[in-house]
Amino acid sequence: MAIPANQITNVNPSPLNRLESAYLPEIFKGFGTTMRHFFTSFGQGPTSRTMQYPEERRENLPVEEGGINASNFRGVHRLNRDEDGRVRCVACMMCPTICPARCIHIEAAEAPWDDREKYPKKFEIDELRCIFCGMCEEACPVDAIELTTEYDIVGLSRQEMVFDKEKLLHIHDLTIGKKPM
Amino acid sequence: MEGLLTVQLLVNAVVCVVVIHVILAHAGLFIYFERKISAYMQDRIGPNRTGFNLGQEFLPRFGFWGLGQSLADGIKFFVKEDFTPANVDKALFSLAPLVGVVPALIGFIVIPWGGVWDAPDMTILGLTFTGGPVVVAGANINIGVVFLLAVASLGVYGVTLGGWASNNKYSFLGGLRCTAQMISYEIPLGLALLAVLLLAGTVIPDEIVRHQTEHGWMLLSQPIAAAIFFICGLAEANRAPFDNAECEQELVGGFHTEYSSMRYALFPLAEYAHMTTAAAFFTLLFLGGYHLPFLPGAQPEHTVLAAAFLKFVVFFSKTVLVVCFMMVVRWTIPRLRFDQVMMVGWQSVIPISLLAVVVTSVMVYMGQTDLVSMLIANGVMAAGILAVMPLMPRYTANRRIRLYGSRFSPMPDEVVFTGPVSRLAREDRPVEGSVATH
Repeated sequence: MAIPANQITNVNPSPLNRLESAYLPEIFKGFGTTMRHFFTSFGQGPTSRTMQYPEERRENLPVEEGGINASNFRGVHRLNRDEDGRVRCVACMMCPTICPARCIHIEAAEAPWDDREKYPKKFEIDELRCIFCGMCEEACPVDAIELTTEYDIVGLSRQEMVFDKEKLLHIHDLTIGKKPM
Repeated sequence: MEGLLTVQLLVNAVVCVVVIHVILAHAGLFIYFERKISAYMQDRIGPNRTGFNLGQEFLPRFGFWGLGQSLADGIKFFVKEDFTPANVDKALFSLAPLVGVVPALIGFIVIPWGGVWDAPDMTILGLTFTGGPVVVAGANINIGVVFLLAVASLGVYGVTLGGWASNNKYSFLGGLRCTAQMISYEIPLGLALLAVLLLAGTVIPDEIVRHQTEHGWMLLSQPIAAAIFFICGLAEANRAPFDNAECEQELVGGFHTEYSSMRYALFPLAEYAHMTTAAAFFTLLFLGGYHLPFLPGAQPEHTVLAAAFLKFVVFFSKTVLVVCFMMVVRWTIPRLRFDQVMMVGWQSVIPISLLAVVVTSVMVYMGQTDLVSMLIANGVMAAGILAVMPLMPRYTANRRIRLYGSRFSPMPDEVVFTGPVSRLAREDRPVEGSVATH
C-alpha cells in the first residue's frame, strides 16, 4: 500500500544543539518560566486560577468566565407547601415510579383534609442514590416535588443523607424566596 | 576537669539543642513553604485555610495564610494508626526511619553558625567556665567538612533498610535504586568539596568562611564545582529530580510504601533535614557562610556576642534561600529515569568534577588563585566541556527498540501506515489507492 506524502508525519524531534544537550541552560530557562508564574500568581495575582469556593461561588460569576447558569441547575429536592402550609403532595406515586435511580420512598395514608384522598405519611429521598435527572418534578401532577438550585449538601453519614419529609419541607421554607414555585 | 569546663563546651551544648529544635520545627515550615511555592508556580494558591486553632471552633481563631497546616499534619501523623504489616522484619522496620533521620541531623554540628565569639570567663552554678575565642557551632572539630562526607553516606542506610524490611518488591527496588544513586553521587560530592578545599587550603569550617571573606565567595571562583555540589546535594537528599527511590509512577511510593503514621513522617522529616544540611553546607562552602559584604556585623573580625547572633541570622537566611531554590528545582525539572540518573552521574558529573579538581590543582600549583584567574579557568573548563561533549560515546542501550508494525520505530525494511488510524478517520479522508475495509 503506497502512502501519500501528506499522510506521513515525522515524529522524530529535531536533534539538540550543543547548548541544549548541556542541560543546564535549558534548565535555567525552565526556572524562568516557573518563576514568572510564581510572581504573577503570587497572592492571587493575575494568573492565579483558583476560586475561593465557599466565599466565591460559580453561580455569582458570568457563564463566560466559568460560572454556571443557576436558574436551570438541578440541585437538591424540596417538597412544596400549599397556601395553608400543608404539603402539596397527594401520594400519587408518580415520582417513585418514574425515578430511574429508585431513590424516592413514599408511604401513603388517608389524608386528614377534605380536598384530597391521600397524603404522604413518609416521604424519603436518598440523596446519595439520586442522579438529579429531574424526572420526578416533570412527573408530578401537583407540582409538589421540585429541584432547587442548591448543590452543596453535606452529611456525616449515609443515613443523614436520606432526607425525610420534614427536611424536604424545611428546604422549601429556605429556598422559596430564591426560587418561587 | 578544669580543662574540660570551657565556654566552648557550653556553647556547643546550647547550639546543639537550639539547632536541632530549629531544624525539626523547620521541617514543618519547609513543607508549608514547598506547598505554597509549588502552588504559586502552578497558578494555584496552596494551603490558606488552616489556622492554629486547627478548625476547632472552641479555640480562638488565630493564624492566617494557612500557617497551621503543618501543625495539623503533624498531629494527624501522631494520632493515625501505626500499622505494621505482617511478614516484615519488625526490628529493622522500626529502626529504618530512625537510621534515616539521625545522620541528617548530626551533619549540622560542624556548621559554624555564628563565627567566633571572644567569650569572657563565666561562673554558672558555682562552676567556672574558662573563656577565650569560642566557635559558635555544634562541635568544634578540626576535620570540619570531611565530617560531612562521613555522615552524608550514612543517610542511605535508612532508605535501604526501610525498603528491605518492608518485604515488598517495590519498596526493595526503591531502596536498591537509592543505594546505587547515593553511592554514585557521593564521589562527585567529595570531588567538588576537594576543589573548594584546595583553594581554601583548610578543612576547618570557620577558616573556609574567613578565606571567602578575603578572596571572594567560592560561588564566583568555583561556579562549576558549586553546580556539581548542588546537584549532588539534591541526589544525596533523595530530592527531585533525583527522587527515584520513591517515584510513585513506577514504585507505588518506593521505600516508604508500607509505612504509616509517625514512622512514615520520619522519612519526609529526614528528607527535609537532609535538604537543610545540604543547603547549609552549600552556604558554608560557596556562599560565604555568615559573611555579607556590606553588613558591618557579619565579618569575621567582629567577635562580640551580638555579632554572633547576627551571623547566625545571616547564615540561616542564606540556608533557607538555598532550600527554597531546591524547591524551585523540584517543581521545574521532571524526574530523571533511573538509567539517566546513572548516566548523568558516571558519564558527566564525575568526569567534570574530576576536571574541576585537576584545573584547581594546577591553578593552586601556579599560584593563580585570585578571583579573575579562577573565573577564566572555569570559563575555559566550560568551553572545553562543550567542545568535547559531541565527541563522547552516545548512549544507545535504551533507544527505541525496532518492532514489526510499530508506528514510531518500524523495522528498517518495513513501510508502515502513519496516517489516521481509526476506521472512521480513514473513511473521512480516504487514502489514495487503499481499499476500504468494512
